[in-house]
Amino acid sequence: MESRIPFETELIERIAWLISLRWLAVLGTGAVLLLARLLYPGKLALLPLAIVTVIIALYNTQFLFYARALEQSHAGTARLQQATRFASIQIVLDLLALAALIHFSGGAENPVAVFFVFHTIIASILLPRGISFLMATLAALLFATIAGLEYAGILPHYHPPFLENVELYRAAPFLLMEGTVLALTLWLVAYMTSSISIKLRERDRELVQSHEAVLAKSRALEGVIERLRRIDAERTRFLMLVTHELRAPINTIHTCAELALAGASPETVRDILARIKKRTAELSELISDLLRLARAREEASHDEALGLVDAAAVLQSVVELMRAEAHSKDLFLSMDIDSGLAPVRANADRLKLVWTNLLSNAIKYTEPGGIIAVTLRQTPEHLVGIVRDTGIGIAPEDHPRVFEEFFRAENARTLSPMGTGVGLAIVQRIIDNWGGKIWVESEFGLGSKFSFVLPRADV
Amino acid sequence: MATKGKVLIIDDDPDLCAALQAALQADGFAVRSASNGSLGLEMMHEDKPDLVFLDIIMRMPVEGVWVSEQIAEDPELRKVPVVMLTSIVDSAYAGHFPTDRTLHAHLFLDKPVPIAKLLEVANQFAGPPSSTPG
Repeated sequence: MESRIPFETELIERIAWLISLRWLAVLGTGAVLLLARLLYPGKLALLPLAIVTVIIALYNTQFLFYARALEQSHAGTARLQQATRFASIQIVLDLLALAALIHFSGGAENPVAVFFVFHTIIASILLPRGISFLMATLAALLFATIAGLEYAGILPHYHPPFLENVELYRAAPFLLMEGTVLALTLWLVAYMTSSISIKLRERDRELVQSHEAVLAKSRALEGVIERLRRIDAERTRFLMLVTHELRAPINTIHTCAELALAGASPETVRDILARIKKRTAELSELISDLLRLARAREEASHDEALGLVDAAAVLQSVVELMRAEAHSKDLFLSMDIDSGLAPVRANADRLKLVWTNLLSNAIKYTEPGGIIAVTLRQTPEHLVGIVRDTGIGIAPEDHPRVFEEFFRAENARTLSPMGTGVGLAIVQRIIDNWGGKIWVESEFGLGSKFSFVLPRADV
Repeated sequence: MATKGKVLIIDDDPDLCAALQAALQADGFAVRSASNGSLGLEMMHEDKPDLVFLDIIMRMPVEGVWVSEQIAEDPELRKVPVVMLTSIVDSAYAGHFPTDRTLHAHLFLDKPVPIAKLLEVANQFAGPPSSTPG
């Protein structure tokens, strides 16, 4: 369909060209008339010839305006039809005008009848093949009509000034011969020209199509490049963040170690060593988290081998493991799992990590005496996991940032200085990788609710 | 030991604060530490320290730059020498560092700061009057 559009613009351009040609024809005819008046004074029916020429000039002016309007109208199939009709009308009028010129300047005796070839060529270039044959036939018929009517004496015959005392227009065999040759010539021209122009049009169409294909491919490539560039920029940013997160504790450990070596008091040394031990433990935990995160990121780019996982069993095992930790902090831990849950397409170890991270956060950020409620439910398309606590909550301005790598909210740092700020980023990566979604709702000071959905494997 | 001046450490790393504090106290300085910028400014008003060690990257990137600007704008605090503790040059926040402004800082020290260097600087700015060079 798109390939019709260039043909349409081409047609409109050629109509403009046809109108210019017609001005040339008007000027040429005028010049010939003036010349004839000089060479053969009084021997040519100048008035009717001049009138026909003026009529051509008049309708060409009209066409000029109409062509401009057409050029500015909305492109499309309707315009293509309009342009085709417009070109046909022009050619028909030109044929009639040429027939009139021929009639007033000698009829069948005037070899200008050959000029019908031009109209046929133009019709074959501009219009569908059927219409160009029709135009050729119309031209031949017009010639036959003039010759016939003049022959029969119904129309007056105007002698061409260059052919005195010869009455070819009454010579039937000549007229038949001339008419046949003209008709054959016109049809052959219509056939040959339209064949060439159909070929050209096909080639145009192929060119346009391959051009469009190339454009589409280059757009797709640009998209890929843009995506790779974003991934690369994100990697760099992440690497710089990691470096900073690693360097800060190492600097502190270094200074502490230096102080301990410098011969401080035994109590100071003991305190400093305890800090070093704590910081190395933190660093080690950070490195483990970074590796988990790197793995989750890596899995996003390759399709890891996923299996059907019983999310309920995974949750039960995690809760069993963490119950002691919750109780030691005097937290009430409840678990509620829908029966008959569908499996999810996942990886059991990674799902365990998701539950563990969410639950250990809940335990870490809930003051003793609080409640943690874990639920796992089923909707027609998803499994919905929820970890709710009555902990310190998250300030509204921090909600969008909790899943960011290394982000730790102010109140979280205050309550629990230990923490890498990577746990939720890992959870989000894993859930994302499986086509799920995780979000947080929280009221500052009252508690948090982390919910995630995973697509059911049976839908 | 009262001959040496008061030093304030503004740094969000409690362990680093503890270590620097221990080192400076052992050398005879009166030391306090603040874990963030606003707390640090408050303590400056309260304690009128002779020297401030200021970390640049705290919870917020370049928080230390903000603190140094607050100090520069305050006619009372402006007189206190500020030594910036940095690891910023090639860190993730390097792009945020305002290189087009003159920071209110007398000295920059790269982390990790050697204890000897720390004490030398502290003695230079907040040492006993007799040992203050110049």
